[in-house]
Amino acid sequence: MATTRTVRRIQTRARPGSIELIGEGLREIWSRRQLTRYLVQADMVKHGANTVLGNIWWVLDPLLQMAIYVIFVSVILKRGGPDYPLFVFSAILPWKWFSTSINDAITSVTSREAIIKQVKFPTIVLPVAATASGVVSFIFGLVPLFGMMIFFYADRLTPYLLFIPIVAAVQFLFTLSLCLVFAAINVFFRDLGNLARHFLRLWFYLSPALYATKELDPGKYGILAQLYKLNPWVPLFESYHNVIYAGPSGFAEAPDWLSLATLSVFSLFLIAGATLIFKRLEPAFAKVI
Amino acid sequence: MVSLLRKPRETLDPAGKPIRSGVIAAPADPGYMIDVEDLGIRYDLRLTKKTTIRGAFRNMTHISREDRSFWALKNVTFRVAHGESLAVIGPNGAGKSTLLQVMAGILTPSEGRIDVIGHISSLLTLGAGFDQELSGRDNILLAGAFMGIDNREMRDRLPGIIQFADIGQFIDAPIRTYSSGMRARLGFSIATAVDPDVLIIDEVLGTGDAVFRVKSQKRVMELAKAAKGIVMVTHDLHWAEEFCNRAMLLEKGRVIAEGNPSEVVALHRERSDKARIDREAEVARQLAAAAL
Repeated sequence: MATTRTVRRIQTRARPGSIELIGEGLREIWSRRQLTRYLVQADMVKHGANTVLGNIWWVLDPLLQMAIYVIFVSVILKRGGPDYPLFVFSAILPWKWFSTSINDAITSVTSREAIIKQVKFPTIVLPVAATASGVVSFIFGLVPLFGMMIFFYADRLTPYLLFIPIVAAVQFLFTLSLCLVFAAINVFFRDLGNLARHFLRLWFYLSPALYATKELDPGKYGILAQLYKLNPWVPLFESYHNVIYAGPSGFAEAPDWLSLATLSVFSLFLIAGATLIFKRLEPAFAKVI
Repeated sequence: MVSLLRKPRETLDPAGKPIRSGVIAAPADPGYMIDVEDLGIRYDLRLTKKTTIRGAFRNMTHISREDRSFWALKNVTFRVAHGESLAVIGPNGAGKSTLLQVMAGILTPSEGRIDVIGHISSLLTLGAGFDQELSGRDNILLAGAFMGIDNREMRDRLPGIIQFADIGQFIDAPIRTYSSGMRARLGFSIATAVDPDVLIIDEVLGTGDAVFRVKSQKRVMELAKAAKGIVMVTHDLHWAEEFCNRAMLLEKGRVIAEGNPSEVVALHRERSDKARIDREAEVARQLAAAAL
């Protein structure tokens, strides 16, 4: 053995600095993007594997969900505005991405228990892959969206639709930060999955998905009306409604750039904090799982 | 408990700065593949159980300070030289698998250090990490991605891995359709096909049919000959005697003996016989007490 070799030293390290850990986490996410890609592909294969209709469910799922809300709101309650199906659909699509990503991320680390105990790899890619899989479902969902618009709501096809990727990018950042934290916490508290299901449902109804913010009377809610504005899903849903639903017969509007920008900056801070939490907890994963 | 109170040794590099985990320069020929010094792993018992919030509260309030941690390994020191294969033997719960996990970098030592030269490949409890819904082929690529092996390199190795695993048409079927033997074969092929400098194996030889056993033993011998280091945990004492150059006996996280395999195996047999006799005597005593 004449060649110089490198030695990998494994030992307890002095508590690393926060900035250092955040940097390390983000570098790991970037350098292991190949692994993320494989994990997303694996997720897609699994989704299509055991059902008769396979990957068609990506498209059917949001459509059926839309049908339920339309029956409930338009038919039974006689509420909802013009072209209500499109209004609902433009909120269901991003929400489905958000909720599946959160749910998948919560179990992303714990479900890979076996491989975590066998191979050393940065576990931070697992929640990242869960978030990215959600993007795929979102993109699949755009197919029925555009189908609906072309066949039924052609008058609402506007160039504003081109803003969808920007709104989605902001949503991605926000989703990623939550996914990182939840994935890490669930290793220690397995109840998180149960809690999240109900919390997400409540969150959906507290956000302007099935209704528009302007339908609410702020005078009725007092201090709650102020708190409502802090909900990140208020600017997100409003932006999606603006760019998808609000065509010429509605109230054509660009997204509220200021709130989107605020949310992006806020999300970046959240991601930094979430990465830090994840990296601090990561060394204990193999012991706890 | 003097050892518990002793301060962890500060490790210094030649420049005198404390060393963190990571890659450091090595002498051209350090004469070993693995160097383990004064290794200790402590488990925090409050965390190791699969907890619900209720369980966590109970643990916080009911367990006293002393009972909260447990040393799975303590004061473990050994070296593995080029071409050596070390068998780690010991009773259940001795810390054997924990030792392999630390060497693979999966667990961080609570004290002490490990230096490993070159690439490590670890497939501990072979095949358990496979993705059930994916095909064998996809799992090979996924395993490569987990191990951080470049995609192109992994594709080059694919035919070799498939050939060695010898599972025929099943390579394109989902893993959930595999028998446990097929799973173990595929796991072994991946672990040993990635050209590791150091191979870490946990109980590989117990699974698989007779033909594959012979084949995998041959592969392990080849790797050992090619000046690579091997550490394997095994319950197969015959294998440890026959094919490993050295053996180490662990009990309750402590190294009891290390050296010539036949001597260490003999000691292990002697001690486990004695432990069994003690246990039986204890049971007999309790039965007698109950009868009175």
